[in-house]
Amino acid sequence: MGRPRPRKNKYQDIAQFERRVSELDKKLGKVRAEKAAEAVSHGGSAVGGRGMSYGFRIGSEFVGAILVGAAIGYGLDLLLGTKPWLLLLFFLLGFAAGVLNVMRGYQQLQGDISRETGGNIGHSVPDNDDD
Amino acid sequence: MPDPIHQFEIKRIVPLDLFGLDATFTNSALFMLLAVVLIAGFLIFSMQGRSLVPTRLQSLAEMLYEFVANMVRDTMGGHSHDDGHGHSHEHGYMKFFPLVFTIFIFILTLNMLGMIPGFFTSTSHLAVTAGLALLVFVTVLIVGFAKNGLGFLNLFVPSGVPIYVLPLVVAIEIISFLSRPISHSVRLFANMLAGHITLKVFAGFIIMLLGAGGAYGVLSILPLSMATALTALEFLVAFLQAYVFAMLTCMYLNDALHPGH
Repeated sequence: MGRPRPRKNKYQDIAQFERRVSELDKKLGKVRAEKAAEAVSHGGSAVGGRGMSYGFRIGSEFVGAILVGAAIGYGLDLLLGTKPWLLLLFFLLGFAAGVLNVMRGYQQLQGDISRETGGNIGHSVPDNDDD
Repeated sequence: MPDPIHQFEIKRIVPLDLFGLDATFTNSALFMLLAVVLIAGFLIFSMQGRSLVPTRLQSLAEMLYEFVANMVRDTMGGHSHDDGHGHSHEHGYMKFFPLVFTIFIFILTLNMLGMIPGFFTSTSHLAVTAGLALLVFVTVLIVGFAKNGLGFLNLFVPSGVPIYVLPLVVAIEIISFLSRPISHSVRLFANMLAGHITLKVFAGFIIMLLGAGGAYGVLSILPLSMATALTALEFLVAFLQAYVFAMLTCMYLNDALHPGH
Protein backbone atom coordinates (compact mmCIF):
# COMPACT_ATOMS: atom_id res chain seq x y z
CA MET A 1 0.00 0.00 0.00
CA GLY A 2 1.16 3.45 -0.77
CA ARG A 3 4.06 2.20 -2.82
CA PRO A 4 4.37 4.31 -5.95
CA ARG A 5 3.74 2.36 -9.10
CA PRO A 6 6.91 1.73 -11.06
CA ARG A 7 7.07 4.54 -13.51
CA LYS A 8 7.01 3.30 -17.07
CA ASN A 9 8.74 4.70 -20.02
CA LYS A 10 6.67 7.45 -21.69
CA TYR A 11 6.85 5.68 -25.06
CA GLN A 12 5.68 2.43 -23.55
CA ASP A 13 2.62 4.29 -22.23
CA ILE A 14 1.83 5.64 -25.64
CA ALA A 15 2.23 2.22 -27.23
CA GLN A 16 -0.10 0.73 -24.65
CA PHE A 17 -2.61 3.50 -25.22
CA GLU A 18 -2.58 2.96 -28.96
CA ARG A 19 -3.04 -0.77 -28.48
CA ARG A 20 -6.12 -0.07 -26.35
CA VAL A 21 -7.46 2.34 -28.93
CA SER A 22 -7.14 -0.23 -31.69
CA GLU A 23 -8.88 -2.86 -29.52
CA LEU A 24 -11.72 -0.42 -28.88
CA ASP A 25 -11.89 0.29 -32.59
CA LYS A 26 -12.34 -3.41 -33.31
CA LYS A 27 -15.10 -3.76 -30.71
CA LEU A 28 -16.85 -0.69 -32.08
CA GLY A 29 -16.63 -2.10 -35.61
CA LYS A 30 -18.29 -5.32 -34.45
CA VAL A 31 -21.13 -3.44 -32.73
CA ARG A 32 -21.69 -1.34 -35.84
CA ALA A 33 -21.77 -4.42 -38.06
CA GLU A 34 -24.33 -6.06 -35.74
CA LYS A 35 -26.47 -2.94 -35.80
CA ALA A 36 -26.41 -2.80 -39.59
CA ALA A 37 -27.33 -6.50 -39.79
CA GLU A 38 -30.20 -5.90 -37.39
CA ALA A 39 -31.50 -3.02 -39.49
CA VAL A 40 -31.52 -5.28 -42.54
CA SER A 41 -33.20 -8.22 -40.79
CA HIS A 42 -35.94 -5.95 -39.47
CA GLY A 43 -36.70 -4.92 -43.01
CA GLY A 44 -35.38 -1.47 -42.21
CA SER A 45 -37.68 -0.70 -39.29
CA ALA A 46 -35.33 2.08 -38.33
CA VAL A 47 -36.14 3.59 -41.70
CA GLY A 48 -39.85 2.79 -41.35
CA GLY A 49 -40.59 5.62 -38.90
CA ARG A 50 -39.15 8.00 -41.42
CA GLY A 51 -41.27 6.47 -44.19
CA MET A 52 -44.28 8.32 -42.86
CA SER A 53 -42.43 11.62 -42.96
CA TYR A 54 -41.37 10.91 -46.55
CA GLY A 55 -44.99 10.17 -47.39
CA PHE A 56 -46.15 13.53 -46.07
CA ARG A 57 -43.31 15.27 -47.82
CA ILE A 58 -43.70 13.79 -51.26
CA GLY A 59 -47.47 14.16 -51.32
CA SER A 60 -47.46 17.82 -50.40
CA GLU A 61 -44.62 18.63 -52.79
CA PHE A 62 -46.61 17.20 -55.67
CA VAL A 63 -49.70 19.27 -54.87
CA GLY A 64 -47.61 22.35 -54.06
CA ALA A 65 -45.97 22.43 -57.48
CA ILE A 66 -49.32 22.16 -59.28
CA LEU A 67 -50.74 25.02 -57.21
CA VAL A 68 -47.73 27.24 -57.88
CA GLY A 69 -47.88 26.46 -61.60
CA ALA A 70 -51.59 27.30 -61.76
CA ALA A 71 -51.05 30.49 -59.73
CA ILE A 72 -48.27 31.68 -62.07
CA GLY A 73 -50.44 30.95 -65.11
CA TYR A 74 -53.43 32.74 -63.65
CA GLY A 75 -51.30 35.77 -62.72
CA LEU A 76 -49.73 35.99 -66.19
CA ASP A 77 -53.21 35.63 -67.74
CA LEU A 78 -54.45 38.59 -65.73
CA LEU A 79 -51.38 40.64 -66.71
CA LEU A 80 -51.38 39.80 -70.42
CA GLY A 81 -55.11 39.31 -70.94
CA THR A 82 -54.70 35.88 -72.53
CA LYS A 83 -57.40 34.49 -70.31
CA PRO A 84 -57.43 30.70 -70.24
CA TRP A 85 -54.30 29.75 -72.16
CA LEU A 86 -51.39 30.51 -69.87
CA LEU A 87 -53.29 29.02 -66.95
CA LEU A 88 -53.62 25.78 -68.90
CA LEU A 89 -49.98 25.82 -69.96
CA PHE A 90 -48.58 26.53 -66.52
CA PHE A 91 -50.95 24.08 -64.89
CA LEU A 92 -49.35 21.38 -67.01
CA LEU A 93 -45.85 22.70 -66.29
CA GLY A 94 -46.76 22.64 -62.60
CA PHE A 95 -47.83 19.04 -62.96
CA ALA A 96 -44.47 18.22 -64.54
CA ALA A 97 -42.69 20.04 -61.71
CA GLY A 98 -44.75 18.02 -59.22
CA VAL A 99 -43.68 14.77 -60.83
CA LEU A 100 -40.09 16.03 -60.74
CA ASN A 101 -40.46 16.73 -57.00
CA VAL A 102 -41.81 13.24 -56.40
CA MET A 103 -38.95 11.68 -58.35
CA ARG A 104 -36.35 13.67 -56.40
CA GLY A 105 -38.00 12.78 -53.10
CA TYR A 106 -37.99 9.11 -54.05
CA GLN A 107 -34.35 9.20 -55.08
CA GLN A 108 -33.52 10.67 -51.70
CA LEU A 109 -35.52 8.06 -49.86
CA GLN A 110 -33.64 5.33 -51.69
CA GLY A 111 -30.31 7.02 -51.01
CA ASP A 112 -31.11 7.22 -47.30
CA ILE A 113 -32.15 3.59 -47.09
CA SER A 114 -29.13 2.25 -48.92
CA ARG A 115 -26.82 4.44 -46.82
CA GLU A 116 -28.28 3.12 -43.58
CA THR A 117 -28.43 -0.55 -44.47
CA GLY A 118 -25.35 -0.72 -46.64
CA GLY A 119 -27.45 -1.23 -49.77
CA ASN A 120 -28.50 -4.69 -48.64
CA ILE A 121 -32.21 -4.17 -48.52
CA GLY A 122 -34.10 -6.51 -50.80
CA HIS A 123 -31.01 -8.13 -52.30
CA SER A 124 -30.13 -10.45 -49.43
CA VAL A 125 -33.68 -11.73 -49.12
CA PRO A 126 -34.05 -15.13 -50.86
CA ASP A 127 -36.68 -15.24 -53.57
CA ASN A 128 -39.43 -17.74 -52.76
CA ASP A 129 -41.20 -17.55 -56.09
CA ASP A 130 -40.89 -20.50 -58.41
CA ASP A 131 -40.88 -18.63 -61.67
CA MET B 1 -71.68 19.14 -30.67
CA PRO B 2 -68.76 21.41 -29.77
CA ASP B 3 -67.37 23.36 -32.68
CA PRO B 4 -64.10 21.66 -33.77
CA ILE B 5 -62.78 24.86 -35.34
CA HIS B 6 -63.28 26.96 -32.25
CA GLN B 7 -59.92 25.94 -30.81
CA PHE B 8 -58.06 27.76 -33.58
CA GLU B 9 -59.68 31.11 -32.94
CA ILE B 10 -57.24 33.98 -32.53
CA LYS B 11 -57.97 36.03 -29.42
CA ARG B 12 -56.62 39.52 -28.95
CA ILE B 13 -54.89 40.00 -25.63
CA VAL B 14 -53.05 43.31 -25.90
CA PRO B 15 -54.15 45.45 -28.86
CA LEU B 16 -51.12 47.12 -30.40
CA ASP B 17 -50.81 49.34 -33.43
CA LEU B 18 -47.35 49.87 -34.91
CA PHE B 19 -47.34 52.61 -37.59
CA GLY B 20 -50.66 51.44 -39.00
CA LEU B 21 -49.68 47.75 -38.78
CA ASP B 22 -51.83 45.54 -36.62
CA ALA B 23 -49.25 44.07 -34.24
CA THR B 24 -51.73 42.90 -31.62
CA PHE B 25 -50.40 40.51 -29.01
CA THR B 26 -52.65 37.47 -29.51
CA ASN B 27 -52.96 34.06 -27.89
CA SER B 28 -50.86 32.72 -30.79
CA ALA B 29 -48.08 35.16 -29.93
CA LEU B 30 -48.46 34.29 -26.25
CA PHE B 31 -47.78 30.63 -26.94
CA MET B 32 -44.83 31.42 -29.19
CA LEU B 33 -43.43 33.56 -26.40
CA LEU B 34 -44.08 30.74 -23.93
CA ALA B 35 -42.25 28.32 -26.24
CA VAL B 36 -39.24 30.65 -26.47
CA VAL B 37 -39.15 31.12 -22.70
CA LEU B 38 -39.44 27.35 -22.13
CA ILE B 39 -36.68 26.52 -24.63
CA ALA B 40 -34.30 29.19 -23.39
CA GLY B 41 -35.02 28.33 -19.77
CA PHE B 42 -34.52 24.61 -20.36
CA LEU B 43 -31.27 24.98 -22.29
CA ILE B 44 -29.75 27.55 -19.94
CA PHE B 45 -30.79 25.67 -16.82
CA SER B 46 -29.78 22.22 -18.04
CA MET B 47 -26.34 23.36 -19.17
CA GLN B 48 -25.62 25.19 -15.92
CA GLY B 49 -23.37 22.49 -14.48
CA ARG B 50 -21.47 21.62 -17.68
CA SER B 51 -20.12 18.52 -15.97
CA LEU B 52 -18.16 15.88 -17.84
CA VAL B 53 -20.59 13.26 -16.50
CA PRO B 54 -23.88 14.94 -17.41
CA THR B 55 -26.93 15.14 -15.22
CA ARG B 56 -30.22 13.90 -16.61
CA LEU B 57 -31.28 17.30 -17.90
CA GLN B 58 -27.85 18.00 -19.34
CA SER B 59 -27.79 14.73 -21.23
CA LEU B 60 -31.27 15.51 -22.56
CA ALA B 61 -29.96 18.83 -23.89
CA GLU B 62 -26.89 17.10 -25.30
CA MET B 63 -29.01 14.44 -27.01
CA LEU B 64 -31.09 17.19 -28.59
CA TYR B 65 -27.92 18.85 -29.83
CA GLU B 66 -26.51 15.60 -31.17
CA PHE B 67 -29.78 14.73 -32.88
CA VAL B 68 -29.92 17.99 -34.81
CA ALA B 69 -26.17 18.04 -35.44
CA ASN B 70 -26.40 14.57 -36.99
CA MET B 71 -29.33 15.66 -39.13
CA VAL B 72 -27.35 18.66 -40.41
CA ARG B 73 -24.27 16.48 -41.00
CA ASP B 74 -26.25 13.77 -42.81
CA THR B 75 -28.13 16.11 -45.15
CA MET B 76 -25.52 18.79 -45.78
CA GLY B 77 -22.25 16.95 -45.27
CA GLY B 78 -22.69 14.65 -48.26
CA HIS B 79 -20.01 16.45 -50.23
CA SER B 80 -17.12 15.48 -47.99
CA HIS B 81 -17.00 11.70 -48.00
CA ASP B 82 -15.13 10.74 -44.88
CA ASP B 83 -17.09 8.04 -43.15
CA GLY B 84 -14.34 6.44 -41.08
CA HIS B 85 -13.92 9.16 -38.52
CA GLY B 86 -17.13 11.14 -38.94
CA HIS B 87 -16.50 14.81 -38.43
CA SER B 88 -13.01 15.49 -39.62
CA HIS B 89 -13.63 18.59 -41.71
CA GLU B 90 -16.92 20.40 -41.93
CA HIS B 91 -17.10 22.65 -44.95
CA GLY B 92 -18.77 25.58 -43.30
CA TYR B 93 -22.20 24.01 -43.30
CA MET B 94 -22.16 23.85 -39.50
CA LYS B 95 -22.59 27.63 -39.69
CA PHE B 96 -26.26 26.88 -40.34
CA PHE B 97 -26.61 24.61 -37.33
CA PRO B 98 -27.97 27.40 -35.08
CA LEU B 99 -30.70 28.22 -37.61
CA VAL B 100 -31.74 24.60 -38.07
CA PHE B 101 -31.61 23.89 -34.34
CA THR B 102 -33.72 26.97 -33.57
CA ILE B 103 -36.31 26.08 -36.19
CA PHE B 104 -36.51 22.45 -35.06
CA ILE B 105 -36.83 23.08 -31.35
CA PHE B 106 -39.21 26.02 -31.84
CA ILE B 107 -41.63 24.01 -33.98
CA LEU B 108 -41.28 20.93 -31.77
CA THR B 109 -42.11 22.93 -28.66
CA LEU B 110 -45.07 24.66 -30.32
CA ASN B 111 -46.43 21.32 -31.55
CA MET B 112 -46.00 19.67 -28.17
CA LEU B 113 -47.53 22.63 -26.32
CA GLY B 114 -50.52 22.27 -28.62
CA MET B 115 -51.00 18.69 -27.43
CA ILE B 116 -51.77 19.89 -23.90
CA PRO B 117 -55.57 20.14 -23.61
CA GLY B 118 -56.84 23.70 -23.68
CA PHE B 119 -53.59 25.07 -25.10
CA PHE B 120 -53.36 26.90 -28.39
CA THR B 121 -51.35 25.45 -31.31
CA SER B 122 -49.54 28.29 -33.05
CA THR B 123 -48.30 25.99 -35.82
CA SER B 124 -51.90 25.27 -36.83
CA HIS B 125 -51.98 28.73 -38.44
CA LEU B 126 -50.65 29.18 -41.95
CA ALA B 127 -49.35 32.66 -41.08
CA VAL B 128 -46.89 31.19 -38.57
CA THR B 129 -45.68 28.28 -40.71
CA ALA B 130 -45.49 30.42 -43.84
CA GLY B 131 -43.44 32.95 -41.91
CA LEU B 132 -40.96 30.23 -40.98
CA ALA B 133 -40.92 28.74 -44.49
CA LEU B 134 -40.33 32.17 -46.06
CA LEU B 135 -37.52 32.80 -43.59
CA VAL B 136 -35.86 29.63 -44.91
CA PHE B 137 -36.65 30.49 -48.55
CA VAL B 138 -35.16 34.00 -48.30
CA THR B 139 -32.12 32.63 -46.44
CA VAL B 140 -31.57 30.12 -49.25
CA LEU B 141 -31.78 32.89 -51.87
CA ILE B 142 -29.39 35.19 -50.00
CA VAL B 143 -26.88 32.45 -49.15
CA GLY B 144 -27.12 31.02 -52.67
CA PHE B 145 -26.36 34.28 -54.43
CA ALA B 146 -23.78 35.37 -51.86
CA LYS B 147 -21.82 32.11 -52.07
CA ASN B 148 -22.11 31.35 -55.79
CA GLY B 149 -23.04 34.66 -57.39
CA LEU B 150 -24.92 34.04 -60.61
CA GLY B 151 -23.71 30.44 -60.47
CA PHE B 152 -26.64 29.87 -58.16
CA LEU B 153 -28.84 29.96 -61.27
CA ASN B 154 -27.21 26.68 -62.28
CA LEU B 155 -29.73 25.16 -59.91
CA PHE B 156 -32.31 25.68 -62.66
CA VAL B 157 -30.18 24.35 -65.50
CA PRO B 158 -29.57 20.60 -65.16
CA SER B 159 -26.55 19.39 -67.07
CA GLY B 160 -26.88 17.17 -70.11
CA VAL B 161 -30.21 18.50 -71.36
CA PRO B 162 -30.52 19.10 -75.11
CA ILE B 163 -30.86 22.77 -76.01
CA TYR B 164 -34.32 22.50 -77.62
CA VAL B 165 -36.04 21.31 -74.45
CA LEU B 166 -33.96 23.51 -72.14
CA PRO B 167 -36.53 26.36 -71.87
CA LEU B 168 -39.20 23.86 -70.87
CA VAL B 169 -36.94 22.19 -68.30
CA VAL B 170 -35.87 25.54 -66.84
CA ALA B 171 -39.52 26.60 -66.48
CA ILE B 172 -40.32 23.33 -64.71
CA GLU B 173 -37.29 23.68 -62.44
CA ILE B 174 -38.29 27.24 -61.51
CA ILE B 175 -41.84 26.16 -60.67
CA SER B 176 -40.41 23.29 -58.64
CA PHE B 177 -38.19 25.73 -56.76
CA LEU B 178 -41.02 28.20 -56.12
CA SER B 179 -43.26 25.41 -54.84
CA ARG B 180 -40.87 24.72 -51.99
CA PRO B 181 -42.07 27.33 -49.49
CA ILE B 182 -45.68 26.35 -50.25
CA SER B 183 -45.29 22.64 -49.53
CA HIS B 184 -42.86 23.45 -46.71
CA SER B 185 -45.41 25.59 -44.85
CA VAL B 186 -48.69 23.92 -45.85
CA ARG B 187 -47.54 20.47 -44.75
CA LEU B 188 -46.84 21.54 -41.16
CA PHE B 189 -49.95 23.71 -40.92
CA ALA B 190 -52.31 21.15 -42.50
CA ASN B 191 -51.03 18.28 -40.36
CA MET B 192 -51.50 20.18 -37.13
CA LEU B 193 -54.89 21.58 -38.17
CA ALA B 194 -56.26 18.25 -39.40
CA GLY B 195 -54.94 16.34 -36.38
CA HIS B 196 -56.50 18.68 -33.87
CA ILE B 197 -59.82 18.79 -35.69
CA THR B 198 -59.95 14.97 -35.84
CA LEU B 199 -59.21 14.71 -32.14
CA LYS B 200 -61.91 17.24 -31.33
CA VAL B 201 -64.50 15.53 -33.52
CA PHE B 202 -63.94 12.11 -31.95
CA ALA B 203 -63.97 13.62 -28.47
CA GLY B 204 -67.26 15.32 -29.47
CA PHE B 205 -68.74 11.92 -30.42
CA ILE B 206 -68.10 10.64 -26.90
CA ILE B 207 -70.06 13.53 -25.39
CA MET B 208 -72.89 13.12 -27.90
CA LEU B 209 -73.23 9.36 -27.29
CA LEU B 210 -73.12 9.79 -23.53
CA GLY B 211 -75.67 12.57 -23.80
CA ALA B 212 -78.02 10.33 -25.82
CA GLY B 213 -78.16 8.07 -22.77
CA GLY B 214 -79.06 4.42 -22.35
CA ALA B 215 -77.55 1.90 -24.75
CA TYR B 216 -75.86 4.70 -26.72
CA GLY B 217 -73.67 5.44 -23.72
CA VAL B 218 -72.00 2.03 -24.05
CA LEU B 219 -71.12 2.78 -27.67
CA SER B 220 -69.08 5.79 -26.55
CA ILE B 221 -66.23 3.37 -25.86
CA LEU B 222 -65.62 3.23 -29.62
CA PRO B 223 -64.81 6.92 -30.14
CA LEU B 224 -62.97 6.93 -26.82
CA SER B 225 -60.56 4.23 -27.97
CA MET B 226 -60.21 6.03 -31.31
CA ALA B 227 -59.44 9.33 -29.58
CA THR B 228 -56.83 7.60 -27.42
CA ALA B 229 -55.12 6.06 -30.42
CA LEU B 230 -55.28 9.37 -32.28
CA THR B 231 -53.65 11.17 -29.37
CA ALA B 232 -50.67 8.82 -29.62
CA LEU B 233 -50.56 9.34 -33.39
CA GLU B 234 -50.72 13.12 -32.93
CA PHE B 235 -47.67 13.05 -30.66
CA LEU B 236 -45.83 11.15 -33.39
CA VAL B 237 -46.99 13.64 -36.03
CA ALA B 238 -46.01 16.58 -33.81
CA PHE B 239 -42.46 15.25 -33.64
CA LEU B 240 -42.27 14.07 -37.27
CA GLN B 241 -43.44 17.39 -38.68
CA ALA B 242 -40.84 19.32 -36.69
CA TYR B 243 -38.23 16.83 -37.92
CA VAL B 244 -39.35 17.06 -41.55
CA PHE B 245 -39.42 20.85 -41.46
CA ALA B 246 -35.88 21.00 -40.07
CA MET B 247 -34.59 18.33 -42.45
CA LEU B 248 -36.00 20.11 -45.50
CA THR B 249 -34.40 23.32 -44.24
CA CYS B 250 -31.07 21.48 -44.31
CA MET B 251 -31.72 20.19 -47.83
CA TYR B 252 -32.67 23.59 -49.20
CA LEU B 253 -29.61 25.19 -47.59
CA ASN B 254 -27.51 22.41 -49.10
CA ASP B 255 -28.85 23.39 -52.53
CA ALA B 256 -27.85 26.97 -51.83
CA LEU B 257 -24.29 25.91 -50.98
CA HIS B 258 -23.93 23.44 -53.88
CA PRO B 259 -26.25 24.51 -56.72
CA GLY B 260 -24.98 21.89 -59.17
CA HIS B 261 -27.09 18.77 -59.00
